[in-house]
Amino acid sequence: MGESLAALIRPLALALWGAVLLVSTLTGRLELLLRGVFHPLVGLSGVVLLAIALQQALQGRRERRWSRSWGLSALLAIAVLALPPNPSFSDLASNRNSDLGSEVELDFLLPPGQRSLTDWVRLLRSQPDPQLYDGDPVRISGFVLTQPDGPPQLGRLLVRCCLADATPIGLPVRWPASFTPKPDQWLAIEGSMGVERVAGQERSVVLPGRIRAIPRPARPLEP
Amino acid sequence: MSRLATIWAIFQGLLLEALPFLLIGVLIAGLARWIAPGGRWLQRLPSQPLLAPLTGAALGFALPACECGNVPVARRLLAGGAPLGSALGFLFAAPVLNPIVLASTWAAFPNQPWLLAARPLAALLLALALSALLQQWPEGQLLEPALLEERRLSQPLAEVGLLERRSGLVGAAPPAAPAPQERPSLSTVLEHSSREFLDLAGLLVLGSALAAVVQTLLPRTWLLAVGGGPTISVLSLMLMAVVVSVCSSVDAFLALGFAAQITPGALLAFLVLGPVVDLKLLGLFGVVLQPRAIALTAAGACVVVLLIGQWVNLWLL
Repeated sequence: MGESLAALIRPLALALWGAVLLVSTLTGRLELLLRGVFHPLVGLSGVVLLAIALQQALQGRRERRWSRSWGLSALLAIAVLALPPNPSFSDLASNRNSDLGSEVELDFLLPPGQRSLTDWVRLLRSQPDPQLYDGDPVRISGFVLTQPDGPPQLGRLLVRCCLADATPIGLPVRWPASFTPKPDQWLAIEGSMGVERVAGQERSVVLPGRIRAIPRPARPLEP
Repeated sequence: MSRLATIWAIFQGLLLEALPFLLIGVLIAGLARWIAPGGRWLQRLPSQPLLAPLTGAALGFALPACECGNVPVARRLLAGGAPLGSALGFLFAAPVLNPIVLASTWAAFPNQPWLLAARPLAALLLALALSALLQQWPEGQLLEPALLEERRLSQPLAEVGLLERRSGLVGAAPPAAPAPQERPSLSTVLEHSSREFLDLAGLLVLGSALAAVVQTLLPRTWLLAVGGGPTISVLSLMLMAVVVSVCSSVDAFLALGFAAQITPGALLAFLVLGPVVDLKLLGLFGVVLQPRAIALTAAGACVVVLLIGQWVNLWLL
């Protein structure tokens, strides 16, 4: 390896990782990967890494010891920059448990037409009487969440830290016969809340009036 | 194909969340090198079997970092000549015994006061047990060779032979007190820190990739399906902690999602084992410990956490 390249390998690898962190923050990729509270920390770390890389490059000291793993990790940083994340939400949800646990206490309640899918799921878990919501207007969006034992639901992923801990939640939808929901497809539904009986028990179900296919939102994960 | 895309996304999520903490840890270690170049204060830390790990654990409050940032700091402690017990106590207890992690546990479980006391206590107990276990072997069989070599240079000649140190003049009397080291320039410290960051980032990449593959292919519902069995629930949540590999600063929020489905002992086991043993950490530990010591750590931690979990279930169920 040439001496000049040897002197540059460390600043270059540092700069690439700095770029990964900064680009992921600035381009909104982090919205797909991490909860919002971490975004400033990731961006700031990118800036710090780039500053250290610049300072070290200007020093231009000959590298006494360099590891092959630096080169490999630099290549991987390039791969991360070149291949943005594009997870299948339905696939992610398929092997996760959808129980919200004890996290069902609501601090305040929005009017029905303004509730997001997550608001509805939390409300139905805290006050599950379906008759309370019969006829309420519904305007929600989410992805088609396949179910192992029944028709697909409209779902969202809740994330507390990063995609590794994503927890799926879903609302039952009475799909019209003329519409076939495709897994992972993002939909906006306007309609009303109804009641259906499943296995002898009543539950709330979304009765769509209008279904629109929408692109994946910029912030697809919910806290 | 969609599964590959999911693995790639989870890998990026784990990596981008951990890299800032790794950088913080490396910068803290670099700052310590700059402020106290000779690391004399490190050598004055207690070395008694009980006091040493307790002191190391208490350092967690001064150096708040999750488990990824913790590794470079622990490495710096060992390289600076800190007693083995203190450094191990820090390595194993500090990921839980620090203000950020305790605050996040409180924020996630404000209505479970027993957990706020049990998590740090169990982490301390685990650190004491692991420290005692590993100290049954000589340092040469525990520590990673490059770290051991660096550590020998910081230890007094009265404790380390010239052959072990690989430097010095045979026959010459050891200096009564080594000359104080000069403070390195900031540029030199940054050079060292950046090298350390790249070494650790490479290992973090491997650990994150492994964790992403395993957790995509292993349905999480299997791990939570075991429900209320006092032993099997603890074991399954221990496995989940190892696989999921999220940082200790946020794992309490993750646990909140399934706390209602599992036994209290299993919940505590998840919160205590994850910061010490997980797939993402396996590679990082390689810069501090030899493979055999890592295996001992993993096995010892699993046994201790299983016992703690079962005891808690006996007490609370």
